[in-house]
Amino acid sequence: MDENILNRMLGAVEKPARYSGAELNMIKKKDAAVKFALCFPDIYEIGMSHLGSRILYHIINKREDALCERVFAPWPDMEEQLRRNSVSLFTLESKRPLREFDIIGFSLLYELCYTNILTVLELAGIPAYSGERGEDMPLIICGGTCAVNPEPVADFMDAVLIGDGEEMVGEVLDAYNKAKAKGLGKQKILLELSRIEGVYVPSFYKPVYSEDGLYKGIIKIIGEAPDKIKRRVVKDLDKAEYIGKPIVPYLPIVHDRIAVEVFRGCTRGCRFCQAGYIYRPLRERKRETVIKLANELIDCTGYDEISLFSLSTGDYSEFHELVPELLDMFEDKRVSLSLPSLRIDSSVKKDLERMRSVRKAGLTFAPEAGTQRMRDVINKGVTEEDLLKRAEEAFESGWNSLKLYFMIGLPGETERDLLGIADLARKVSDAYYSMPKEKRDKGLRLSVSASTFVPKPFTPFQWEPQNTPDEIKQKQQFLKSALKGIRGVEFSYHGSESSILEAVFSRGDRRLSRLLLTAHENGCRFDSWTEHFNFGAWIKAFEECEIAPSLYANRRRDIDEPLPWDHIDALVSKEYLKREYKKSREAKKTADCRKGCNGCFGEHCADYCKI
Amino acid sequence: MRIIARFEKGGHARFLSHLDVLRMFHRAFRRAGIPISYSEGFNPHPLLSFAAALAVGYTSESEWLDAKLERDIEISEFMRSLNDSLPCGFRLTQCFAAEERLPSLTKLMCAAEYIISLSYNEREFPSKLETAAEKLMSNNIFVKKRSKSGFKIVDIRPLVYDIHVETLGEGEIALSVTGCLNSSESLNIGLLLDSLFQIAGKPETVFVHRRRIYSDDGTILPKFGG
Repeated sequence: MDENILNRMLGAVEKPARYSGAELNMIKKKDAAVKFALCFPDIYEIGMSHLGSRILYHIINKREDALCERVFAPWPDMEEQLRRNSVSLFTLESKRPLREFDIIGFSLLYELCYTNILTVLELAGIPAYSGERGEDMPLIICGGTCAVNPEPVADFMDAVLIGDGEEMVGEVLDAYNKAKAKGLGKQKILLELSRIEGVYVPSFYKPVYSEDGLYKGIIKIIGEAPDKIKRRVVKDLDKAEYIGKPIVPYLPIVHDRIAVEVFRGCTRGCRFCQAGYIYRPLRERKRETVIKLANELIDCTGYDEISLFSLSTGDYSEFHELVPELLDMFEDKRVSLSLPSLRIDSSVKKDLERMRSVRKAGLTFAPEAGTQRMRDVINKGVTEEDLLKRAEEAFESGWNSLKLYFMIGLPGETERDLLGIADLARKVSDAYYSMPKEKRDKGLRLSVSASTFVPKPFTPFQWEPQNTPDEIKQKQQFLKSALKGIRGVEFSYHGSESSILEAVFSRGDRRLSRLLLTAHENGCRFDSWTEHFNFGAWIKAFEECEIAPSLYANRRRDIDEPLPWDHIDALVSKEYLKREYKKSREAKKTADCRKGCNGCFGEHCADYCKI
Repeated sequence: MRIIARFEKGGHARFLSHLDVLRMFHRAFRRAGIPISYSEGFNPHPLLSFAAALAVGYTSESEWLDAKLERDIEISEFMRSLNDSLPCGFRLTQCFAAEERLPSLTKLMCAAEYIISLSYNEREFPSKLETAAEKLMSNNIFVKKRSKSGFKIVDIRPLVYDIHVETLGEGEIALSVTGCLNSSESLNIGLLLDSLFQIAGKPETVFVHRRRIYSDDGTILPKFGG
């Protein structure tokens, strides 16, 4: 690219470092047999915080026959520069236009970034629909959490990688190389890719709908394609590749620290939590491996903070050995340790006290619901007693700021459950102010945040309706007034309108591809950013496409109704989810599966689960 | 031990903000294993400061950092190991062991010189620019400056010490500007260029490069007017 034009564009945007690259540990190869562009469809600061992308960047670049470069969704100021200067969207490493890559892979981590995929493709001069892309166009693929229900973006994707990418991405590159060497065309390449476990080629299947607009199922149109696409699992996480020598961003990114993934999967079985089901089974990294990675990563980046990453870090089997060991090791180096995703019931008092001596970090607890009944419905196995005890311990250790996460709009929620949230907050606040004055450090900062429940595929709540936007708004206001007057409380909640979009897309079908394109054409982008979210434009798109959002979001689905993601085998069996769904309606709990197998994998059990 | 060092900021590193650079150096010190001292108190921060912030987009061959270390280190060893740890775009070019009682760089500095490279298509641009510079220097230079309460009009002429034009080649011209830079006020190059271009017209490309930061008496920083 013309250096002058590049400089002019970068000089005209708010944060040029989002596009200029050249960070420490960036990998820039001249050329390779396969050129892979990895796109996180949000801004740099968010995309660079995504661990999965970091892992793939390392794995692909480690290969001699491949190169991997990054691209992020350009912020509207950069989008304007690209359009004004007629410059095609480029990667950070080589500034090569996206169109010159062989494969572009999108990470799908949340539904509200879907329109950004279309912005990226448009700015790259690549047609959105896979059917409109010729042989000269890159292969467009995606993966990530949301890919377990790929249907809403199915019309745009040549292939979807479902499940853990560490091994699958290499197999995709091998198959692609081989097919290219044979001179195969796109259709044949896709057929080869579809033979890889975990790879879904949407164009090989055609969904059917009934006359009243309900999804009826999917028909295979290419005989050799698999009937069901099985989610890919890395069986030995301890031996799996990690992030190598990771890039050290100049910009302060959202998670600006070293993260070591200590395990994948979760055994708790909270019924609302998609990650709790689609990352099963539980796989740990050995303590030695974690320590080794932590040391290497601190040394090659210069970071002064490290976090132990997982869905529930307190559940790590050697937690009480690992944490002190890391603290001892890093004390002199002034590296602080942060532990996100600590459950309230993990007994961490001793460790917390020591952590605070290194540096003060915030504490977050997630009771999720306000009453025991509601917590039993969602199978969040914590009690009020647990919460209060941990809060008191934290206060006694000198903490004065605490975050409490709740969800509203949970299945079967009543006013009492909402009042329960306020009640819990009041008890935590009282616990703080009942301490002797000299033991307290200034005032309490208790942030209570309430997100809106979004039913997700492959959870026991996949049949549940979401509250309507009006109901959500009412509940938010109700809770707001219930929390009034509690000392130290700051209340925050999410916009109800974006939650409904999440609900539509998380359980959507392929008809939503057209909706996405229409919304994109109506100007929708960065929908997860309140300053850009334009619900009016979305409403217009729904109307233009004659799609009723309530059909997807607010309807209780029949237990025997075909679901748009039924052809994806996420390993946890549908029978198990049905059992859990029924138990939730009776407010019956299910125990942590380390206490005894609950049979979630059904026929796959012997192949996958070692617990 | 206190070390003062001069460094370059070039290439794409020019798109980094002052805080980005601070963070980068902090990590580079850690990677290099150079033990930087920390402030006392609840949230200890590394004792590392700079002479003056450089605007995003500008390059420089004369940025200055001031660091306090926990233990003594050979100056040459300091320079070598930190240079090995810096990402591309940054390089230390001079290092000094400084006395503890020496004032901060911000207190020492008094002026800075910039080289502004311009490319243009219009043939008359150099002469127009020269005329514009002369005109501005012989009058007041009123600019609109953003302040807390909206905009206000200020005269930046007293902050400009020298402007002269040097022709580089076909379609390229360089402008040398020296202006005030101390702890309480500084010449805003962007505002000065806006005033110049209002009279002379806009060039195709503009590159601003800081060449020197001066002190009054030549303590560490080169002597102004010397």
